[in-house]
Amino acid sequence: MELRINQKTYQVDADADTPLLWVIRDDLGMTGTKYGCGLAQCGACSVLVDGNVVRSCVTPVAGVVGREVTTIEAIETDDVGKRVVATWVEHQVAQCGYCQSGQVMAATALLKNNPKPSNEQIEAAMVNLCRCGTYNAIQAAVHDLAGLSATKGEA
Amino acid sequence: MNNSRFARTAGWLAVPCLIAAGLLAWYVTREPVSPFESRQVAVADIDPALVARGEYVAPLSDCVACHSVPGGAPFAGGLEMATPLGAIHATNVTPDRETGIGNYSLAQFDRAVRHGVAPGGRRLYPAMPYPSYAKLSDDDVRALYAFFMKGVAPVKQANIPSDIPWPLNMRWPVALWNGVFTDSAPYVEKAGQDPLWNRGAYIVQGAGHCGSCHSPRGLAFNEKALDESGTPFLAGALLDGWYAPSLRNDHNTGLGRWTEPEIVQFLKTGRNQHAVVFGSMTEAFNNSTQFMNDEDLAAIARYLKSLPGDHQRDGTPWQYQSVAATKPNTPGAHTYETRCASCHGLDGKGQPEWMPPLAGATSALASENASAINITLNGSQRVVAAGVPDAYRMPAFREQLSDQQIAEVLTYVRSTWGNRSEAVDAKAVSKLREHTDPASSSPIILQMR
Repeated sequence: MELRINQKTYQVDADADTPLLWVIRDDLGMTGTKYGCGLAQCGACSVLVDGNVVRSCVTPVAGVVGREVTTIEAIETDDVGKRVVATWVEHQVAQCGYCQSGQVMAATALLKNNPKPSNEQIEAAMVNLCRCGTYNAIQAAVHDLAGLSATKGEA
Repeated sequence: MNNSRFARTAGWLAVPCLIAAGLLAWYVTREPVSPFESRQVAVADIDPALVARGEYVAPLSDCVACHSVPGGAPFAGGLEMATPLGAIHATNVTPDRETGIGNYSLAQFDRAVRHGVAPGGRRLYPAMPYPSYAKLSDDDVRALYAFFMKGVAPVKQANIPSDIPWPLNMRWPVALWNGVFTDSAPYVEKAGQDPLWNRGAYIVQGAGHCGSCHSPRGLAFNEKALDESGTPFLAGALLDGWYAPSLRNDHNTGLGRWTEPEIVQFLKTGRNQHAVVFGSMTEAFNNSTQFMNDEDLAAIARYLKSLPGDHQRDGTPWQYQSVAATKPNTPGAHTYETRCASCHGLDGKGQPEWMPPLAGATSALASENASAINITLNGSQRVVAAGVPDAYRMPAFREQLSDQQIAEVLTYVRSTWGNRSEAVDAKAVSKLREHTDPASSSPIILQMR
């Protein structure tokens, strides 16, 4: 089948019910997207499909044929994604980093759909798990991106 | 004087009482007649073709589901079933001569399978679905016997006695139950129906014993109907903490929206655009329905689609409705978006046929909410089709969501996308949580009502 990933076209030989994550990592070698729980619970495997965040570990590959998939490898080609990554760096969000590609995806999807989310909307959207507990740093970065009470360099 | 008259009267009364007791004793211990009485075959002479036929009839009847334990030898028994009176255990049906059924004659085997009577006249508990197996043809019983004698490896494993205390453990009253609630004649083809329908009726009522789970039961745990002549037949029933839905043509809660090919697909692959097998049906699929041949599956579909639904019971026909642009801002909706929507979709349509839709799902439309609660608490078992476990399964939310959260999210599911059924109460979640806790002292394993 033919897949569109990061603005490139790939021919993939996979069963229709193969999780998208396996295809991205094992068949196409893009290992930035991580396997966490395999049950759509933790968010480490998040990718964007047509701009919406999707858990690739529970997405049958047949379901994304004809749609545009974006992974962490290409997130900086997106204007919002580029800002998110820059802010992530600025806030030094990552610790071990395993969940962070998923966190960046969740933040990017949120800000693409809603550039000025409220605190409640941020809390509702940023539900990915982080074992290091970087939640405060994630919150600070997203607040910064949303233009909410800046937590750094307050004038 | 008075005393002697009393004694005489009592003496006269004792005679009919004794006769009645004698008749009763004969009735409850008698061995029903088997057509194979004088036709015993030597095991050594059994035709391999018959063994092969039996190897098909055994999964058609799903014997292995109860007569094995996970990880144990096939058909060696041991599965514990909790009944209100105490636990009973499925028996060893391998051809071991000491602990299994290796010494059974064909007639004895027939009596056990179709009449629930073990050698010596001891009655089996109707946890063995002999009220359904009674419909099996002589040919299929002979094939099953051939398979169990020659196609199954003997395993020496002693049967576990039941926990039911005396006097409740006496088996003879079951004979009276049988007299009232069972019909011991094999299936007779119905004139005026095509061969496919008749084959379907034979499998559904007999070997498939679909009614064991899907037909409601009466006060004596009897299935309220054993064939299509009774409207309760396959009308849905609560059992073992799951709600086995209607298999009749009910639009909302049954198979009304399913086509015959969709029923075939469901039984063959475990999934279709409407649903994925879960709960007890996973075992029925893993062990039984996927091994049925296409013709038998088509027959089952034809027969089931001939059973009329009941508008009154089923309610207003379900129709999909999209969620309003302003999403409901309730705790249930929020839990749904964060925990469920990745797979089942914000639109409730799932990702057919891998992840089932919740919009229009039977478990979301039936007034019995046990299945919805149970699957949310405990997740699904692996669906294993053709030896390959499926890629997706429902996770267990037992440790992640509180009773209140589960009640809220299920209430949301049951009242969105055109679904219109009663709210779920946190108490119902709490009760099922306790009964399905592996460490619970009051598990529901065989709870029929």
